[in-house]
Amino acid sequence: MFGTFITRRWFRWSAFAVVGVLALAAGLQFRGNVDDSASGTGRGMDAATLFALAMPDASGREQSFGQWKGKVLVVNFWATWCVPCREEMPEFVKVQRELGGRGLQFVGVAMDEADKVELFAAELGLNYPALIGGYGAIELSKTMGNRLGALPFTVIIDRSGRVAHTQLGPINEANLRSIVGQLL
Amino acid sequence: MKGALAVVLLSATCLSGAADAQSKLLEPERAFAFSVQALDDRTVEARFAIADGYYLYREKLKFSVEPTALAAAPALPPGKVKDDEFFGKVETYRGRLAVKLALDQKEPGRKVTVRAESQGCADAGICYPPQVQVLTLTLPLPGAGPGAPVVATPARKSWFN
Repeated sequence: MFGTFITRRWFRWSAFAVVGVLALAAGLQFRGNVDDSASGTGRGMDAATLFALAMPDASGREQSFGQWKGKVLVVNFWATWCVPCREEMPEFVKVQRELGGRGLQFVGVAMDEADKVELFAAELGLNYPALIGGYGAIELSKTMGNRLGALPFTVIIDRSGRVAHTQLGPINEANLRSIVGQLL
Repeated sequence: MKGALAVVLLSATCLSGAADAQSKLLEPERAFAFSVQALDDRTVEARFAIADGYYLYREKLKFSVEPTALAAAPALPPGKVKDDEFFGKVETYRGRLAVKLALDQKEPGRKVTVRAESQGCADAGICYPPQVQVLTLTLPLPGAGPGAPVVATPARKSWFN
């Protein structure tokens, strides 16, 4: 009776399908074994630690993160010795110019020397603060989901001070605009 | 039939992997695997096995030894020249890199520590902060031939790397 409905071929192909789905699921499950910051680890986290901090800018003036509470904050960890970091900054300058008036604030945290940062910022026409973090800043980025401590690492914080998105590696401009657009 | 099953399995796992290249980033100790080998009682060879898709900056590479001293600054091989917009000409290394460190005197049987500073990036678009790797080895006695290679143990092992 069973055999009239289920032919051997049907059984064989549905077995393949099940195995295929299981393999896909297994692949998806294990792919993040090294780093999954790109998927937004740290999302939902309170950025209270960050807002309590202060760092000097390239001119040596102490800047407190608390001054940016209530903004949609894009904190970008970078360095002049990091080529992919430098390459995405012109986009940030553009987006800051367009959306700054609506409450968007980029803040760069450079693991770098002040004079190099100042030189690059001037060349780029940087229109947002460039703070000088040291290795402490790398440690800070690790607490926000940057497991490898690598650059660039970007954290987007909503107006209530919660981490909305984190990204290790360059952030795609369309993706960036889409995320901040929803938060502004 | 077995072949078809293999194809389904392979393509399903490959598809899920390709969808997320960024999450396959290696820990720096794996991307830039460091090892040393004593070639004789006054020469150590320091090596980096740089994973595919990763590179080191020649200018950021520094070696030192303790408690002995180097006879001279180690000769670094030429790297691949790139024109960096900000820094001008930079040289990078890929694949296997070997640098001979000559001690200023013979130290048969002596335990020495080799320290390597390096900084590298991944083609995927990230750069690691400067790394320091340290290994200890014992120099061979005269005429004993090269010592065994000493490999830095990666911090974490997993199925996939």
